[in-house]
Formats: sequence, structure tokens, C-alpha cells
Amino acid sequence: MAGGTIAAPRRFRPTSGLFLVLGLFLLWEVSARTGMVDSPNWPPLSRVLAALVRDTLSGEMPMLVASTLARMFVGLAAGTLAGVALGLLFGASRFAARMLGPTVELLRPIPIPAIIPPLVLFLGLDNTMKVTIAAITAFFPVLTNTAQGLRAVEADQIAMARTFGVPAWRRLFRVTLPAILPYVMAGLRVALALALVTTVVAEMIAGEQGVGHYLVLMQFAGRAEEMYAAVLVLAVLGYALNRGFLWLERRLIGWFFATGRNG
Amino acid sequence: MRAERLLGLVPGLLFLALLIAGLEWAVQAGLVRRALMPPPTAIWEVLRDLLLSGDVLGPLYSTLRLVFIGFAIGSVVGIALGTAMGWWSAAYRLLEPLVEMMRPIPKAALVPPLMLFLGIGDTMKITSVALAVTFPVLVNTLQGVRGVDRVLLDSARTHGWSTARALWHVVLPASLPFILAGMRTSLGLALIIAVLSEMLTGQGGLGFLILDMQRSFLIRQMYAWLVILALVGLALNAVFAWAEARALHWQTRN
Repeated sequence: MAGGTIAAPRRFRPTSGLFLVLGLFLLWEVSARTGMVDSPNWPPLSRVLAALVRDTLSGEMPMLVASTLARMFVGLAAGTLAGVALGLLFGASRFAARMLGPTVELLRPIPIPAIIPPLVLFLGLDNTMKVTIAAITAFFPVLTNTAQGLRAVEADQIAMARTFGVPAWRRLFRVTLPAILPYVMAGLRVALALALVTTVVAEMIAGEQGVGHYLVLMQFAGRAEEMYAAVLVLAVLGYALNRGFLWLERRLIGWFFATGRNG
Repeated sequence: MRAERLLGLVPGLLFLALLIAGLEWAVQAGLVRRALMPPPTAIWEVLRDLLLSGDVLGPLYSTLRLVFIGFAIGSVVGIALGTAMGWWSAAYRLLEPLVEMMRPIPKAALVPPLMLFLGIGDTMKITSVALAVTFPVLVNTLQGVRGVDRVLLDSARTHGWSTARALWHVVLPASLPFILAGMRTSLGLALIIAVLSEMLTGQGGLGFLILDMQRSFLIRQMYAWLVILALVGLALNAVFAWAEARALHWQTRN
């Protein structure tokens, strides 16, 4: 699947790839220093890193990152709840699925950046709008995976619980939700990567908040070092979020992988 | 079978119709501010004019051009690199760290730096789209190529097939389901990045128009273009799903 790691964790050994990356970094530095590429838009890597350190120590970058992440996580939580709830409803009632399904499918392919302008009209430029964007982003993959998970586990486990007369609420929390957790988590992982993108995009297009706005501001101001530093921060964030999520997944649903039902 | 499927759509379409009618009523009754949400009939009038006058074609063409060219370039690069990395372990060792480093960058964040280097024209937009498309395709291709049945490869080798022939006739067809899954993910990303880069550069097709209409308070026009964009997204998905089903007709569907 998209978003999976392509390398299994292994012992560190320098490879040709590492030298390629280091070589490219060196080329970046040298080309900017010696004037091979003589452009204000092409600062040497060392100056970008210096800008990053400066922004980090001044507390500006940590603040920006914290505000972006806060909006993203609140939105993710809301979108996940809504996605799981609607997914359960779809699973519980064929009629509900038939009735609401086409509307959902009609809304799903709208590219997220395009709904920012109308949302700005209703919710303004600030937190509410951006949290909503993150929530909408998370909603669709979580909904799809919840419904898929229900289809996959319903037959055996849920029917069995029903046979044994487990009451509906208890069945939901003790049987259904744990059983579909791996599927929800898979959807959430897709949502996490997408939500970082859409939150940053919303910050770029509207308002004056977060890393996204900082990135665009630095571009307009012609401060290339700070701009690249922001890109670097986002790259690290994207990587760290994915890694953190994989770790969480292993802890929460290790049993799923342990029983060999990976996928 | 066909009639049954059509019948299954009835509740959904009915609900959608009710939703639109309810919205119309709410706006007409003054429950929703007209300045924010014009009645659907008013949006429809603008939409109809756009469609009938052919004014829709220019912006539509310019956005679709970005998506298609960027998608094609990104897919070709992703498939080529993914196949190389899956086939030759030397290529894997060489490129894997670089790919792992580039992959987590939210590609939207690359639009501003690319604007500095490539300007605000099509080159920049197509490059952004292609970059966003490349990585999911690459990762999926790699996975597909690595999963190819060894027996197939061995028998190709036994028959004295050249590497190129084995790649083309064995490896690519076998990894096609993976490649197409990656491309499906990428298609949505391509549209997102195309729209975003039009918004950030302030010129071009549908993305630019939606933002521009909002900023000029031409709200009905904004919604009309949004509907057009949604239909574009829907159509792209449908066309891809159709093409995928045709390409994978030999695969048993579960």
C-alpha cells in the first residue's frame, strides 16, 4: 500500500545510497558557495541549517509547529470520530448506506484545497476553518476503512457475539470496535499523512498561522534560507508522524500482525 | 442484474435531491445567509451559462492539462525507478535513502520553492504535480516488482529471455495491480497539487478561479466552479477505475 515503509529496520551500514545523499548535500553546499548557481534563491545548506537552528532557538519554529500540529490533531480526532460513526451506521443499516453512500461518493473526489474558499466564508480564516479542513481530510479514508473492516470481520465475530446474546452496546465496544481497529488504524495512517498536507495547505492559502503561512511568507519576503528551513521541518514532521504512528500501531494492534493477517 | 443495480441507486439519488431541495428552501426562507450560500437554483443558472457558452472549456483544459502531463511524467518516473530499485539491488542501495528522505516531504510544501526557481508558469505546476505523483507510484511499483513469483522469473531465464524481455513480459504485468493502486492514490494527489499550485500562483484554471471568485465576492460563480471541479474529480476517478478494471481483467476480483 501507499505510505508503507519500503525498508525493514536493519543494522546501520553505510551504503552507496548514503554516499549519494551526502554527495548531493555537498553539491548543494559547494554550488551555492562557489557561485556555480548564483541565485538568492539557492542558499547553501549550511545557511539553511543555521536558519533552522536560529528559528528553533528563538522559539518561533517550535511555536509554529505546535500550532500546526494542534490544529491537525484536533481535526483528525473529529474526522476520525465522524468517519467511524458513519462507517458503523453504514455497516448496521444497508438502507443508510444506500441512502447516504452516493452523497459521500460525490463529495469525496473534491480536492481539499478547493473547499477552502467556501469554508473561509462560513468559518473565517482561523482555527475553526483549518480544523475543519483536517477533519474533512481524515473523514473519508477512515469511513472507507471502517466500512471495509466491518465487512471483513462481521461474518465470524459479530455474528458469534450475537448468537451468545451479548447486548448491543457491549457488542459494539467489546467485539466490533476492537475487531475493526486494524482497519480503522490503516485508514487513520493514510489520513495522518494527508491531514498534514491539507492543514499546511490551508495555512498557505488563508490566514496567518502555522508553518504553512510561514513558508509562503518567507517565499514572498525572499528569505530563501528560512523557507527551506520550513520545508525541512515539514519533511521531518512527516517522517516523525509516520514513524510514531507505526510504533503506536504495533503497540495497539500487535495481535493483528502476529496472527499474520497483515493487510 | 443491471436493473437491480440501478434500483439500488434510487434511495441515494432521492436523498441527494432532498438535500438540495432542503438547501434551496433554507436559503429562500432566510435561514442561511444568501451572501454565503446562494440558493442551488442560482448556482445552477451560473453553471448552465458556463456550460452552454463554452466558457468552461478554457479553465477546464488548463487544469486537466496540468493533471495529465504531471501524472504521466510522475507515473513514468515512478514506475521506472521503482522497477529499477526492485530489480537491481545496487539501484535499491543507491536510491533508497534518497527516496526515503524525499517521500515524507508534504509535496504541497515544495510549491513555494519551485515557484522561486521555475516561476509561476506551467513548468512549475507540472513539476509539482509530477513530484507528488512519483513517490506513491514508485513505492508501489517497488513492492510489486519484489513480489513477483520467482518461479516465473526462473522459467523466463531458463528459456533464455533477456532481462528487458523478462521485465516487460513478466515483471511489469505481474506488478501491474500494485502499480495501478499507486497510480490511483496519485491521481487524487495530482488534482490536489494542480489546484493548489493554481491558487498559490494566482493564475491558471479551476483552482485559481475558485479562490479568485471568493476574493471578488462572486459567490455564485465560486460555487459553480467548485461543482465543475467536483465533477472533474469524479470523472477522473471513474475513468481510472474503468481503465484499471480493463487492465486487470485477468485478475480475479474478490
